[in-house]
Amino acid sequence: MTANAIELNGIEKSFGPVEVLKGVSLSVPRSRCYGLVGDNGAGKSTLLKILSGVHPRDAGEIRVEGEPVDFHAAIDARLAGIEMIYQDLALAEDLDAASNIFLGRERHKGRGPGLKRLDHKRMHAEAAEVLESVGSPMPTDRKVKALSGGERQLVAVARALEFSPRILLMDEPTAALSVEKVNVVNRLIGRLKDRGVTMILVSHRFTDLIQVADTIGVLVHGRIVDEFDVAEQTMDDMTTRIVRLMSEAAVGVSQ
Amino acid sequence: MTDQAGGQDSSPGEPPSAPAAARGAVSRGVAWARHTVSDVGPGLFMILGVEILVFWRTAHPYFLTQSNFIEIGKRMTIIGIAAVGETVVIIAGGFDLSVGSVAAMASVGSAWVVDNGGTLVASVLAALAIGALIGVVNGAITGYGRINPLITTLGTFAIVRGLAYVLTNNKQITVNHEGFQNLGKHSAAGLPYIVWILLGTYVVFGFVIPRYRFGRYMYAIGSNERAASLAGVRVNRWKLVFYGVSGMMAGLAGLVNATRLGTGIPSSSIGLELAVITAVILGGASLLGGRGRLLGTFLGVLFLSCLLTGLIQSGAEPEYQRVAQGSALLLAVLYDERRRGRLARG
Repeated sequence: MTANAIELNGIEKSFGPVEVLKGVSLSVPRSRCYGLVGDNGAGKSTLLKILSGVHPRDAGEIRVEGEPVDFHAAIDARLAGIEMIYQDLALAEDLDAASNIFLGRERHKGRGPGLKRLDHKRMHAEAAEVLESVGSPMPTDRKVKALSGGERQLVAVARALEFSPRILLMDEPTAALSVEKVNVVNRLIGRLKDRGVTMILVSHRFTDLIQVADTIGVLVHGRIVDEFDVAEQTMDDMTTRIVRLMSEAAVGVSQ
Repeated sequence: MTDQAGGQDSSPGEPPSAPAAARGAVSRGVAWARHTVSDVGPGLFMILGVEILVFWRTAHPYFLTQSNFIEIGKRMTIIGIAAVGETVVIIAGGFDLSVGSVAAMASVGSAWVVDNGGTLVASVLAALAIGALIGVVNGAITGYGRINPLITTLGTFAIVRGLAYVLTNNKQITVNHEGFQNLGKHSAAGLPYIVWILLGTYVVFGFVIPRYRFGRYMYAIGSNERAASLAGVRVNRWKLVFYGVSGMMAGLAGLVNATRLGTGIPSSSIGLELAVITAVILGGASLLGGRGRLLGTFLGVLFLSCLLTGLIQSGAEPEYQRVAQGSALLLAVLYDERRRGRLARG
């Protein structure tokens, strides 16, 4: 068995009569970043949701560090060290940044079972620390709805990182961001790789992915139709390849 | 670093240590005051209105009598206790229409227990258990059954009221238990026992909500149920707790009503849900969930009780009470809608 952090074999998924994933296989070595490109409806988000425990798969196998895993809920994946950053960020807007970061995994005072009091002081302190580490120091007691789009994105990133994930999944991490914030997120992804985090990124903007991914996979109609290492390609080659595949796919749909 | 609960920006936090930050402390204090006013909602302003009403009513020979204030306090208890549970459910993004029926069922249940030789404690426990059980059923249907809470609790509203009539043969259960009646009639330290019970529920929940997961998840689920679920909060299990609490508080309100009247009445507390929901919305809780404060609800209950008592004192026909409550509810909802619009626009 290789030291692949995550390995997918023949993942299939249908919603009713619609086949969304038709046998997706891919593997990502530890500390590497895999970028998945594809048009809207190619099945990118569905694949990530299967990996993060939101949807059950119909067929296929998922291995984390070589071990087969089976997730029934998002919390199962989180406990297995897989964190997901959703496209809509999935933040509770009426809660403050710290409460969102620790939502579902609150720090408590005291020990033992029964009613444990929330440890607000500790949660705010740790939240401030992790927000600082993603390069976005901000007041942790501010409600999320009062934050800017970029700040919200970083709260979502901070929530994923607080629990030191082995694998980080990001669905369109840069879709809602300004160019400046895209650079912040890209630098962050570089630092995470150095820390040994394995990542799968999904985007329909492959120019963003090429800057950070080690490997690019092209997903068309539920299948990976092309896969290549970014380091071995010139920018022009990659652009031509991806544009050709995606436009062929678009033509295929219209026929 | 501040030390406060999410969704509960009720404390301005510890002052910053550096003297240079004094200006920051002032502006944070102003922000806190603005937040509190906005969170507590129209209730705060309504209290001012009530003050005017009370002042105006001094012309009336009976309004400022002591017995009248006791009457306001007692009127507050039934609505106020049930409103605690309704606040929990509404902040959590739900709704509970069944509180009046549950209160009636608990009133006959608790009266039946003492009438059949049970102790006062047993009758209190019976009222709480009846309420909690119905509440948990509500929570299970809305959570695991994924049925809209309005429909769910409209169903139990009808079922429970119907069962209360059936089980009692549509007869009142008159209680000859001294302790039971004393609970509803006597006082300690100048306040009726039942007003102490009212204050106790607010103190208990006011303590619990900012300090435990109960409160944290109530705001989180009401704010974004999907996000809470993705984060690992067991949403459906917590809905059992929230609706269970609402039922239990409605049961307690029913018990208080029964002790006050010395009778368990299957047709009691009709329209209680209207008063309770009006008070909660007046208190600034948002119908969309995620927003609201217990303090706001308390003020909403206070306002509503003054309004209703004032109407009775001024000799208005009882039907006008419903007109007034309905109008207050609609005004509060309109205010909530406007306020959300303002927030959305920034």
